[in-house]
Amino acid sequence: MSSYARYARPALKSSVDVQLQTAFSDGNWNLVIRLADKRFKVLKDPYYEAIKICAESQLDGTADKCAVLVAIDELVRQKAAPDLDTLELYEWASADFLHGIDYSDALGPLRTRWVKANPKSPLAVQCLQSCLEYWDLVSAQQIAAALDKTYVNSGDRRYMFWSITLTFLLSISPQCSEQSRNVYCMLVLKQLERAADITENSAKLELTDRGLITEEEICLYYRVLLTHGTKEEFLTRIQSSRLGPLHQLKQGRKLLFWETLTALENWGEWDRIFDLCHQALSLGLEDETPSFFTCDLRAWKAFALAASKAKNEEAALGEVQNTLKKFISIKSKANAMYKKNISIALLETTFRLPKPILTPSPDHKGLTPRVVQISLFLDHCFDKLSAFDDVKDYVAQLSFEEAKAFMEQVLPKMLVDKPDKLSQVILKSLNCKLQYLLTTCPQMLSHHPSMVEGNNYQCRFCANLSSLPCQHCLKKIILEASDTYMQIGADKELLKSIPRLDKDPRLDLALVMGTSILKLAGLRQRLSDVDPSPLRNVNPGLFLQAVLLLDTQLRETPSDTGLRLLLVQLYLLLGCATYAHQLWVPMDVKRSILDALGPLFFDRITSISPGLIQGGRSFLEPVRMSYSTSLADNCPLRIWDAFSTGSFSSILSLTEYDSRLRRSCTLVMTLIEERRAIRCYGGKIDSEIDDLPLAADIVDSTTLVNKTDYGSFPNLESLHGLPIQDFIRLGPELSNERAHLSFLTEQYFDILSYKPPKDYRPVKSNEVAIRERNYILECLDRLSNSLTSFIHLPETPSRLTSPEMTYYSVISLLSAALLTGISTTKADPAPKTLQLVTSSIKSALAGLRASLTVSTPSSLPMGDVFFSLSDMHTMSYARDTALAIKHSAAFVLAFHEKEVARDRSGKSSLHKDVVAEMKALEVVSTKALGEIKKHVQSLKEALGEGGWLDRMLEWTFGDEGEAEDEVTEAVSDVVDGRGGAEEWAGKVLESWREGVKGWGMARWD
Amino acid sequence: MANFRRFRPDDLNKLSKCNLDPLTETYELGFYLQYHAKWPALFQVAEDQHGNIIGYIMGKLESSPDVYQFSEHYLPWHAHITAVTVAPEARRLGIGKLLSEQLETAADANNAWFIDLFVRSTNHKAIAFYKSMGYSVYRVVKDYYGDHSSDPTQSSEDAYDMRKPLKRDVKKEHVRDDGEKHEVDPSDVW
Ligand SMILES: CC(C)(COP(=O)(O)OP(=O)(O)OC[C@H]1O[C@@H](n2cnc3c(N)ncnc32)[C@H](O)[C@@H]1OP(=O)(O)O)[C@@H](O)C(=O)NCCC(=O)NCCS
Repeated sequence: MSSYARYARPALKSSVDVQLQTAFSDGNWNLVIRLADKRFKVLKDPYYEAIKICAESQLDGTADKCAVLVAIDELVRQKAAPDLDTLELYEWASADFLHGIDYSDALGPLRTRWVKANPKSPLAVQCLQSCLEYWDLVSAQQIAAALDKTYVNSGDRRYMFWSITLTFLLSISPQCSEQSRNVYCMLVLKQLERAADITENSAKLELTDRGLITEEEICLYYRVLLTHGTKEEFLTRIQSSRLGPLHQLKQGRKLLFWETLTALENWGEWDRIFDLCHQALSLGLEDETPSFFTCDLRAWKAFALAASKAKNEEAALGEVQNTLKKFISIKSKANAMYKKNISIALLETTFRLPKPILTPSPDHKGLTPRVVQISLFLDHCFDKLSAFDDVKDYVAQLSFEEAKAFMEQVLPKMLVDKPDKLSQVILKSLNCKLQYLLTTCPQMLSHHPSMVEGNNYQCRFCANLSSLPCQHCLKKIILEASDTYMQIGADKELLKSIPRLDKDPRLDLALVMGTSILKLAGLRQRLSDVDPSPLRNVNPGLFLQAVLLLDTQLRETPSDTGLRLLLVQLYLLLGCATYAHQLWVPMDVKRSILDALGPLFFDRITSISPGLIQGGRSFLEPVRMSYSTSLADNCPLRIWDAFSTGSFSSILSLTEYDSRLRRSCTLVMTLIEERRAIRCYGGKIDSEIDDLPLAADIVDSTTLVNKTDYGSFPNLESLHGLPIQDFIRLGPELSNERAHLSFLTEQYFDILSYKPPKDYRPVKSNEVAIRERNYILECLDRLSNSLTSFIHLPETPSRLTSPEMTYYSVISLLSAALLTGISTTKADPAPKTLQLVTSSIKSALAGLRASLTVSTPSSLPMGDVFFSLSDMHTMSYARDTALAIKHSAAFVLAFHEKEVARDRSGKSSLHKDVVAEMKALEVVSTKALGEIKKHVQSLKEALGEGGWLDRMLEWTFGDEGEAEDEVTEAVSDVVDGRGGAEEWAGKVLESWREGVKGWGMARWD
Repeated sequence: MANFRRFRPDDLNKLSKCNLDPLTETYELGFYLQYHAKWPALFQVAEDQHGNIIGYIMGKLESSPDVYQFSEHYLPWHAHITAVTVAPEARRLGIGKLLSEQLETAADANNAWFIDLFVRSTNHKAIAFYKSMGYSVYRVVKDYYGDHSSDPTQSSEDAYDMRKPLKRDVKKEHVRDDGEKHEVDPSDVW
C-alpha cells in the first residue's frame, strides 16, 4: 500500500566513496550495481552487497525486485543483530511491496533485534518510529519496553509511557495473539496502577518521577482502567483527591470529567452521577469570582436526570434547583452562552419534576409549571435563531392540555406583549413551527373508531377525524405561514429591518410550508420494506408545489445550507440529478468532511443518473482521493506526532478513528458507485475490487460503519417520528448490510470477467482447466454463502429499497445457479435444484419489470410519466438485474463451449439441463433488456415533445382557469404564480432530459 | 445549548454546521489530526445538544525555527490561533470568545509571550471580534491570501497579523499601536 516515493532515499554510510554515493543519489542504478559489486569484492563488506541488492530492486524485473525480500529473509534467519544502515536500505527498497503483515514478520523483528542490541543508541527511537509507520505493534511494543528498561532511572518518563501505551494498543489489537493478550492486559494495568499509587502517595511529585503527572497520562490510565480493570477499581479511583475528575476540573481540565460521566452513564450509576455533577457545578461557586466553566448543558442535564432517578427524588431535584438558583442569582456576570445553558437547565429540571408537583390550579388548566417555564424561556429569546430548537423537545413532551394552553394562551399573549412589527412576524413564524411540531406528536390525537379507513383518530386541536399528521391542521399552518410570508413581503419597513435579524423569518415560513405540503402530498416514512419508490404514492402536484416553493425561497436566501441540503435530496428524489448537483456544488463539500457529507449527494447516484459521473466527469474522484491520502499508510494518520508530544489520549482516539475510517460505508459507496458508472457505459474496470488498496481490510466479518452527518438539515419534526431526512431519501441510508451486499456483488462481477493473466501460457492445458474450474467454483461457493447470509440477516430488508432487495437476491441466486451449473457435468445426474433457482430468478426479474410504469408518449397521463421520471432507481435496478442474469448465463455458456472444445470426450462439458436453463435465462434477460431500453426510449421521446412547460405548470398548479384550492393558492402567492414558476419548471425539465439522455447512452447488452 | 470540550476525531463527522458556511475553510484530514495529535488541549469544540459541532478553535504553541533567530521577523515562544469558527446559528452568544479565552489560559499556563493569528483584512466581523477581546493589528501581510473573499476581480488579499499580549509580556513589548503601518511580505512570515 505504501509508495516508496514517500520514503526518502536513505543516505549511504559516510565511509562509502563519492563515486558510489553520487551514482546512488542520482538513481543511476546500473552504475550503482556495478560499483557496489566491485567494492564488495574488494572490501568484503556485506553493506556493499546490500547496496547492490537495493539498486537491483529499482530495476523492472520481478526477480530483481525479489532479491531484496530474499536478503531480508536471510537476515531474519541469521538471528544476529543486523546492521542498521543495511536495514534502512532494505526497508526503503522494499517499501513498495511491503505490507503491514510482512513488516511484522521481517523488518519489525529485525529492528527490535537491533534495538535490543543497541538500546542506548539515539537511533533506537527511529526504529520505533519505523515500526509504528507500518503499524507493527508487536515490534513497537518490544522496542518501547526495551527503551523503558534502559532509561528506567534516567528520569525520562517518555519511554515509560510509550511502553505503556503500546502495550495497551497491542492488548486491544487483532495483532496480539490470544495467548499473550491476558499478559499484556495485566501488564499495562499493573504498570499504571503503580504509577497511580506513586502519585497518590508522594508528598510532592517531580517531573522525573514515574507517577502520573500530566492530564494525558492520567486520562490514559482511566482509559486502560475502563478497558481492562474492574468497575470497582474505577469507582474507587475517581474519588481520589489527586487523580479524580474533580481535581482535574480544579486545574481547568475537563477531559476526565467528561470521560468519567460517560462511564457512569453507561453503568447507570445515577447516585454517583448526581454527586459528581453536584460537586463539579458547585466548584464554580466556591471562589469569590464565580466561574461558569463547568456550566455545560450536558452537566446540568445529567445532574437533573440523576436527581430524577434518586430514591428521594424530591430532595434531589430540590438540590438541583438550589444549585441552579445560586447560578441564576449571579447570571448577569455570565457569558451569553452560559446564561442560556442555565435557562435551559431550568427547563430541563422542570421537566424532570414528578407529575403531582406539576398539577396546576383547576382554573388554569394546562398552564402547568412546564408551560410557564417554556414561556419564560421564549419571552427573552424568541427572536434568537436557535429558539425553536431549544424548546422543541420540551414542547413535544407536553400533554394535549398543556399544548393547548401554550398555543392558545401563552403565544397569543406574547403577541400582545410584543407589538412591534418585527417581533410580531418572528413570533408568528415561531408559532407556525410550533404548530407543525405538534402535528407530529401522537398525544394530540385521540382514538376514535371511525368508518373512514385509516382515520381512526380525532385531532384534539381541530376535532377533525384524522391520522398523524392531521391534514386539517397542516392546511391551516400552510395558510397562516403564507399569510405572514406575504405580509412581510408587502411591508417596506419590515423588509428593511430583516438584514439586521439573525435570520429572515420568511425562510422558516417557507420551510414550514414546504414540509407541511410534502406531508400533505403523502410523503411519509416508509411503512414496509417492500414499499415502492417513495414518490409512487404521493400526489405529484402537491409534491411539485413543495419543491417549487422551497426552490423559490433558496433563490432569496441562497446561503442557507439547511434549505439547500433539503432541496438536493428532493431533486434527487424527483430524478433531477444534474439540478441537484448544481445546488450541491456551492456547498463546497470536500476533503475531511466528505466521509460524513458525501453520501448526501453520491449515495445511489448511479441508480438515478449514472451519466452524471460518467467518463471524464468523475465527480467521485476527489472522494476516492481523500481516502487514498488519509489511508495511505498502514498506521493512523499523525500517530507519530502524538507519540512524540506525549498526547496519549490522542494516540488512542487517532487509532480508533483510523480503524473506523477504514471501515467507512462512504468509502465502500465511493468504490461501488464508481464501478457501477464505469460498467454502465461499458468502460474498463482496472482492477478487481479485492485488489484495491482501499478495500484491503474489508472481509465479511468487517462491520462497516455509516457516519452520515444530517446535523445541518432543518428539522421541525418531534422525536416521536422520524427526522425529515428519513422520509425524503430515496431509500434507507448507508448500512453495513447494503455495503457488504454491494461489495460482494462487485466480487461476483469480477469472477464473471475473470481472465487468466496474459503472459501466462500454460503447458498442460488440461490441468490448468481443472484448476481454473476449481478456482471459479471455490470463489462462487464462498460468494454464494456470503451473499445468502447477508440477504437473510433480519435487518437486511429494512436497509434496502425494494428494487435493491430484488437485485441482491437475484445476484445471490445467480451465484448459487452458477455454482450448481458449473459443477454439474454431462456425466452427473440432472441438477434438481437448478430449475427452482432459475425460476426464482425469472420471477424476480418479471416482478421488477412489472413495476416499471409503461408510458405512452401520445397519451401522456401525468402519473405515468411523472412516476417514471422520478423513479429511475427501479428502472436502473431492473436493467442491472437483467444484465447480471444475461452475463451470468453467458458466462456459463462460454464455459461450456470452452470445455466442449477442449475435451473432445465431452465428459467435462456441462449437463444439458444446465445449458438449457442458461439459454432460457439469456432469452428472458435479453427480452427484458429490450423492453427496459424501450421504456427509456419512450421517456426520451415523451420529453422531446412540445408543450412541456405548460404541462409542468399544469401538473403543479392544476389546469389553468380552474379554481385553485386553498393550498395551491397559498403557494401560488408565495412563488408569484405560474409566471414565477416558469424558470423553475424549465430547470426541472432540463434536468429530467439530461438524466434520460444519460440513460440513453448506457450499454444495454 | 452547548458543551465545551476537547476535539476528538469523530467530531469531523459532525462539522457540517460550521464547515458548510462559506467563511470556514475545510482542510485535509491530516491537518485537523495534526493539531489533535500535537496540541490536543488547544483544539477545543463547542457542541450542541445533538452532538453537532457549533464552534471550534485550533491552536498551537511554537516559536520561529532557530534559523530565523536573528531575523527581525523572528517570533519568540507564543500561541497561534490557526482557525476559529462558530456556526451561523450560534454566533453572538460568546462562544467564539469562550473558545479564545480557553486558548489564552492554556497559552499563559505554557508561559507564552502572546497569541497571534492571521485574518483577511476584509473580514470585518472577525476583526471586530478579535478587537473586542484585546487583540490589535501587529503588521499587515501584503497579498497573503491567494484569492479575495468578496471581490472576484482581485487575485489576492492582505492579511492582518493580529496579536494579544499575554501575562509574560509585562511591558507589552510584543504589541504596537501603529501595526497597520507595518507592512511585510508573505515570505517574512511563516
Ligand atoms: C468571528 C467569529 C468566530 C465570532 O464568533 P462569535 O461566537 O459569534 O463571537 P462572540 O459571540 O464570542 O463575540 C464576542 C464579541 O466579539 C465582537 N463581535 C463578534 N461578532 C461580531 C460581529 N459580527 N460584528 C461586530 N462585532 C462582533 C462583539 O464585541 C462580541 O461581543 P458582544 O456580542 O457582546 O457584542 C464568528 O463570527 C465566525 O465564525 N465567523 C466566520 C469564521 C471566521 O471568520 N473566523 C475567523 C477567521 S480568522
